[in-house]
Amino acid sequence: MHPDQKTIKPRVIRLDNVSKTYRNGTAALRDLTMDIFAGDFYLLTGTSGSGKSTLLKLLYGEDLPSSGDIWVNDYHLNTVKGNKLAELRRTLGIVFQDYKLLPRRTVSENIAFVLWAQGYSRAEIDRRLPPALKMVGLQHKATSFPEELSGGEQQRVSIARAIVATPPILLADEPTGNLDPDNSRQILNILKQLNKIGVTILMSTHDEALIRTSDLPILQLSNGQLKLINR
Amino acid sequence: MARSLYQAEYLLRETLLGLRRGGWMNWAAISTVAVLLLLFGIGLQGSWQLGEFFNRYGNQLEISAYLDTGVAAKDLQPTIQKLPNVTTVTPITKEEAWAALAKELGSTDLKATTTQLSGNPLVDEIRVQANSPTAVVGLAEALKKVRGVETVQYVGEVVKQVTELNHNLRFISFGVIGFLTLSAIAVITTTLRLVIAARSQEIEVMRLVGATRMTIYLPFLLQGITFGLAGAAIAWIFIQSLLITLSRVASQQANLFQGLLIDSGKGWILPLVLLSFGGTIGLIGSLFAVQTIGRR
Repeated sequence: MHPDQKTIKPRVIRLDNVSKTYRNGTAALRDLTMDIFAGDFYLLTGTSGSGKSTLLKLLYGEDLPSSGDIWVNDYHLNTVKGNKLAELRRTLGIVFQDYKLLPRRTVSENIAFVLWAQGYSRAEIDRRLPPALKMVGLQHKATSFPEELSGGEQQRVSIARAIVATPPILLADEPTGNLDPDNSRQILNILKQLNKIGVTILMSTHDEALIRTSDLPILQLSNGQLKLINR
Repeated sequence: MARSLYQAEYLLRETLLGLRRGGWMNWAAISTVAVLLLLFGIGLQGSWQLGEFFNRYGNQLEISAYLDTGVAAKDLQPTIQKLPNVTTVTPITKEEAWAALAKELGSTDLKATTTQLSGNPLVDEIRVQANSPTAVVGLAEALKKVRGVETVQYVGEVVKQVTELNHNLRFISFGVIGFLTLSAIAVITTTLRLVIAARSQEIEVMRLVGATRMTIYLPFLLQGITFGLAGAAIAWIFIQSLLITLSRVASQQANLFQGLLIDSGKGWILPLVLLSFGGTIGLIGSLFAVQTIGRR
């Protein structure tokens, strides 16, 4: 988005005239065009129902645009499917508002599950697990089950799960939506640390306090259109 | 190598987890497959044994012509050889037949037995082989008209009736097996769909973190195959138990009944057929079930 970035950093996300209209006729997104470069960190804001989750779903291939083209990590999302889509998703980390942790598995198992599913060896899983837990400050909760954790801790597990395979892009859909201000700040700090080591982050939020206190650039979604607010 | 082993371990673990979560529904699937394969196995084993019985005790193409007293089999052989639809003609002298009968009856002193009965009571016999089952009746009629032939016997009629019965039973059993196959597939599909529904969150996470379709599907496919193989194993154990019980009962019964329980010589083929059939049914059922997972 920054003019000087375009010459230095590679483009990792591109939206070209993307629109999304649901079957009932609701237009969630209208002619969005934007580029996101490696190492960027944006807050995607907007009121509830403004299309934030829709945009993120389009970016991780869970939904298709009604018109326009989307590229993520050089994958053309309009056409990618099957194992190619799986391949793309391995380059993304996704964090959800409702955490989506597996209830009958421990913190370690929840995080390792991603690596199992992606076909990593046991040695590689054992190597990657401790740094991921350390990054979110949950080494001491490795053997706990999700129900034994607070909301903030569960969200940190979900972040550890999203980053354990070291994806270059992290998409966070309202990761602080269910958390108190302290936990929200903690989560934002973790994401900032990840951004410092080069992870591109797009985080949706409608948390006014968080938006006000953070100095991150904002992509504001309103009436299906995007507006960049640099601070 | 280590990666493949870990993948196998992962698949095994996920399959076992699915089986554990299936609970009593697993038994519904396994028992349906077991009932199907039990009927199928009994039908198959029965037809094998019947075939072996016919091979051993009666050739449906063979006709025995017993000659008038004093007529030599060798003298009639050229005449019979010329009859239509004849493939082979085997003359058996009354001495040969007498020796064979004495042996069958357990007599060791043939001379003494012959003297006791004031001579050999048998007549010469000619065994005639027809070239097709449909020609047997006509050939038997032709043989009756040959001068020197006293009586004609053939098992073709009995065999024909038993074969027809077997054929009709097979037709019915095909229908029953077809119906049960569809039921077994439906039960396996339903069971796995319930397991998939129970694990929908895991599956969603797997999809979102980039697990390939195969990684997601394989545990369910393996689970379906396990249902089929377990059903096959149970059916085979039942069939073996049934055969052992029947053999015990048959040992105290008439010879013909014992004859029906002869070893078909295909003991190892039956479990293989059952396992293959069971595994295929399990695979088809699970393939239907995983259709609910994949969209894009």
